[in-house]
Amino acid sequence: MNQFSNRFTVIYGFIILCALGLVLQAARIQVFGSKFKNSASKYAIDKQTQYPSRGLIYDRNGQLLVYNIPVYDLKVTYNKVPKEIDTTLFCKLLNIRKDSFSILITKDWRSAQFSKSVPFTFYSKISPERFAKFQEHLHLFPGFYPVLRYIRSYPHQNAAHALGYLGEVNQKVIDNNTGYSSGDFMGVSGLEKTYENKLKGQKGYNYLLKDNLGREVGAYSEGGLDSVAQSGLDLITGLDLELQKYGESLMNGKRGSVVAIEPSSGEILSIISAPSYDPNLLALNQNRGSSFKRLFQDSINRPFLDRSVMAKYPPGSIFKPIFSLIALQDEITYASRTIYCDGEYTVNKKRGFSQGCHGHPTPYNISIALEHSCNSYYYQLLREYVEQYGYSQPGKGLDRLKSRLADFGLGIPLGIDSYLENKGNVPGSKYFDRLYANVRSGWRSTYILSLGIGQGELQLTTVQMANLAAIIANRGHYFIPHLVKSYSASDSLIAKKYNTPNYVNVDSVHFKPVIKGMYDVIRSGTAQMAYVPGLDICGKTGTSQNPHGEDHSVFFAFAPKENPKIAIAVYVENAGFGGTIAAPIASLMIEKYLNREIGLSSKWKEDFIYSKNLIETPDQ
Amino acid sequence: MTRSTRSSSLDWITVSLYFSFLVIGWLMLYASQEASISENVKFISFDSLIGRHTIWVVLATIIFLFSFLLDWRLWYTFAIPIYGLTIVLLVGVLIFGVQIKGATSWYQLAGFSFQPSELAKFGTCLALANYLSFFDSDIRERRTFVVSVLLLLAPMFLILLQPDAGSAAVFTSFLILFYRNGMSTNYFVIGFALVAVLILSLIYSPFLVLLLVLFVGILILVMRYKQQLYALGAYGLWLILSAILYASNYKKEILIANIVAFIVLLVVHTIRENQKLVIVLFPFMLLATAFSFGSKFAFEHGLEKHQQERINVWLRPDKCDPRGSLYNVLQSQRAIGSGGIQGSGFLKGNMTRLNYVPEQTTDFIFSIIGEEQGFIGVFSVIGMFLLLIFRILIIAERAKNSFIQNYAYGVAGIIFIHFFVNIGMSMGVMPVIGIPLPFISKGGTALVVFSLMLGVLLKMDLARQTR
Repeated sequence: MNQFSNRFTVIYGFIILCALGLVLQAARIQVFGSKFKNSASKYAIDKQTQYPSRGLIYDRNGQLLVYNIPVYDLKVTYNKVPKEIDTTLFCKLLNIRKDSFSILITKDWRSAQFSKSVPFTFYSKISPERFAKFQEHLHLFPGFYPVLRYIRSYPHQNAAHALGYLGEVNQKVIDNNTGYSSGDFMGVSGLEKTYENKLKGQKGYNYLLKDNLGREVGAYSEGGLDSVAQSGLDLITGLDLELQKYGESLMNGKRGSVVAIEPSSGEILSIISAPSYDPNLLALNQNRGSSFKRLFQDSINRPFLDRSVMAKYPPGSIFKPIFSLIALQDEITYASRTIYCDGEYTVNKKRGFSQGCHGHPTPYNISIALEHSCNSYYYQLLREYVEQYGYSQPGKGLDRLKSRLADFGLGIPLGIDSYLENKGNVPGSKYFDRLYANVRSGWRSTYILSLGIGQGELQLTTVQMANLAAIIANRGHYFIPHLVKSYSASDSLIAKKYNTPNYVNVDSVHFKPVIKGMYDVIRSGTAQMAYVPGLDICGKTGTSQNPHGEDHSVFFAFAPKENPKIAIAVYVENAGFGGTIAAPIASLMIEKYLNREIGLSSKWKEDFIYSKNLIETPDQ
Repeated sequence: MTRSTRSSSLDWITVSLYFSFLVIGWLMLYASQEASISENVKFISFDSLIGRHTIWVVLATIIFLFSFLLDWRLWYTFAIPIYGLTIVLLVGVLIFGVQIKGATSWYQLAGFSFQPSELAKFGTCLALANYLSFFDSDIRERRTFVVSVLLLLAPMFLILLQPDAGSAAVFTSFLILFYRNGMSTNYFVIGFALVAVLILSLIYSPFLVLLLVLFVGILILVMRYKQQLYALGAYGLWLILSAILYASNYKKEILIANIVAFIVLLVVHTIRENQKLVIVLFPFMLLATAFSFGSKFAFEHGLEKHQQERINVWLRPDKCDPRGSLYNVLQSQRAIGSGGIQGSGFLKGNMTRLNYVPEQTTDFIFSIIGEEQGFIGVFSVIGMFLLLIFRILIIAERAKNSFIQNYAYGVAGIIFIHFFVNIGMSMGVMPVIGIPLPFISKGGTALVVFSLMLGVLLKMDLARQTR
């Protein structure tokens, strides 16, 4: 067995060599004065973080919407705090209770998170005014030092939902994401979240050598590891602050939403969700917790719900112009077609479809049908569309309609720059197959005729509705609606999809009768309250039936008729007929945007809208 | 190296080294506590760290002495059952164990925790010693080799599941035992070379590393020529030319030229002489290429983030955050550095007293020795470990049967890897894998198991005289 006994020498030689290596390394750091010896126990390395200033947010005219104000975090190194400091003065200066000092400075020293020799945040978000007082006495409190941070502030009280707010990062984000550490802020909603990576900037670090009294004696490693904080990019949004402000004042006392778009670019001019709240309430100052709780607990008005992108509503009659376009293009009907309406639409009483229509002149063509919003006309068109592959194949016809609606951005996410976006709902054959599974002969077109007037399972978001208005305004194409039009740095461009037109595959000739109908809606049809002299508004009312209460009031429009500058959709919950609430709000906003002021002839509308209060305030 | 059987008695040098280590360990732990505990220290107590350590030291001594009472043949007979038991314990800890700092490595009973991976070192040592001592076992044969490697991999795998990569890495020390049993030197040479390629590729660019490997390969081929002087001269010129061109940024061209040169020389050699060399050299080159270019990829995709950080701290400390991943090692090095030649003196180390080095009672206990006892202390402790390992190897070589010899080599390997890696990591030359310094670090299970291993070995050594 000892045929390999010479290997003893090899093994022990190897071990001696390794031990020799250890001795040499020890000599290097202990005897031959390397950097470890020089910076020996006299110095400690301190890592200081420089927080970048977060990007600002502007409106389309360069008005500031969001900016930063400084606050201070007070950090402390436990081991450096002398036992005899004046805690009474300390607490008085910071305006905290006397007994909280010992609570704040005592941490779980056994956990890996805290060490007595590593600084931790003692108290955060101290206002500059208070900090100024404290700073005069800072020399009395060795071991404490301030760190400058920025929190958000808002010069106006508008666009809270669109702008969003910040929060402290949670542990999950810290674990998954490089670059965030405990106590950092990040966007939690709105633009703050969607554009987090552009806005946040880059933290800078300084590594300093400090002596045992906390004095800086130089840079670690000659500053080779240091980096400078870089501010985030500023966002320039397409929002028009004046319009936004005015719209929010009109929506005051109502539940619902308004979205206005510039059709030629897809830039969102105004996006309102009512009821709203003052964004300053959610700024990361010391009062935030209670404001947040109060808003969060308001279950009646749900101010945190962004109704403009999250809520899906049945569109009601504003669906008719869209369906007209599809029916014309797909040659189901023709523009000059007359369909008689005797105030009722009945298909074979046995099968049970019979719906009334309101009194109006006979629709000799599609424009008149739109002008007076004739329901019978569109029941008939829907029936013909769905049955285009035969009476027994309504599913095939319906699925064709569903795919055509997808061209208009319905039933699919539009891709707007809000992560909250809802895609709405466009039912297809699969849905009805499941719904009517117990009907032996299968479902027929008559089961779903209410889709023709924008009721039933059809649901859109307000942004989608506004985009429909933009599609008609553009005569057949749209740009995906978006809030941000550019960044402060000229070399950063917004996503390409926002500059690319999307075509809806409807020839421009078919827009003529539809736009004529929408033009007459204002002149002599259902929305005469939206008339503003000289503005050539084209629109369509909707009254969305609500089984749970008062109907919802809907209106969408664009103006002027030629070279439109604005497309808008207004949805007011439980406000009744579309022509009385939604239409005047839309017309006032169009007037504000195009004329920059409200003319005398429209003042009465403004007063009427202001006087309408449709929500009950929650009990305090 | 051999002694006559008459003079054999207890190996007193080893025994005194053992007790010296216990004393040093206790004193160092006491030093780490001194600043934070009040006047009346409880030396035997469940409440203070030093009190608990005292209890463990007493327990370890009892076990050390107790192992002299048992017949050594017991360990031979029950080697495989003990191994089986440790495997069961390793499986059980994954189910019933408590999680501390992200690893499920401990059983907890009545306030004391027990780490089965420590016992597994002893169990595996016994099992391998037993199996390799069979008359029909020969590590050079495939069957023996496979069984031995499986015996080794089973506990490693289970420990990796905890996950505790550091303790798993300890098991590679049994390669020393394999080597002593006759495993081919070629494996070790190739293995070390590949590890070197891997590590160098992480530090330097893979291009450069591959170039160096090619230079060595060409050198081996050139040495085969009969007119060695001319060949070596040409080789030197080639080397200089390559270096100049590499420096002037013809990196790709130089690499390709060297690959071509290597292949041409290899083909010429194969035709003129034999195929022996090509069978070893060619696959090695392919492997080295794969290793050097694959290392970065494997590093980024195969390792967890904290493992990447540990490797960065080891190989690229100047790129690491001194208040983050590098902090522990940096503080340890600074504490050791501040000790100078003589050290600050017992209980006078500032960094130790202020708890400036994290984990200074376990992973970085050597920093206390470095700061308070200085280079003299460091040199002495390293010397003591060297002497201990030397004694164990002597015991191995004079053993009367191969079981005892194998067991001794296993123990020597385990103590060596702990000692080398632990001290190495506290000075920044080894990756921080969190294994204790034998007999010195806090940690009861390790202390007891090391004592047991050493006690059993000394008892086996006594068996010499009862021939």
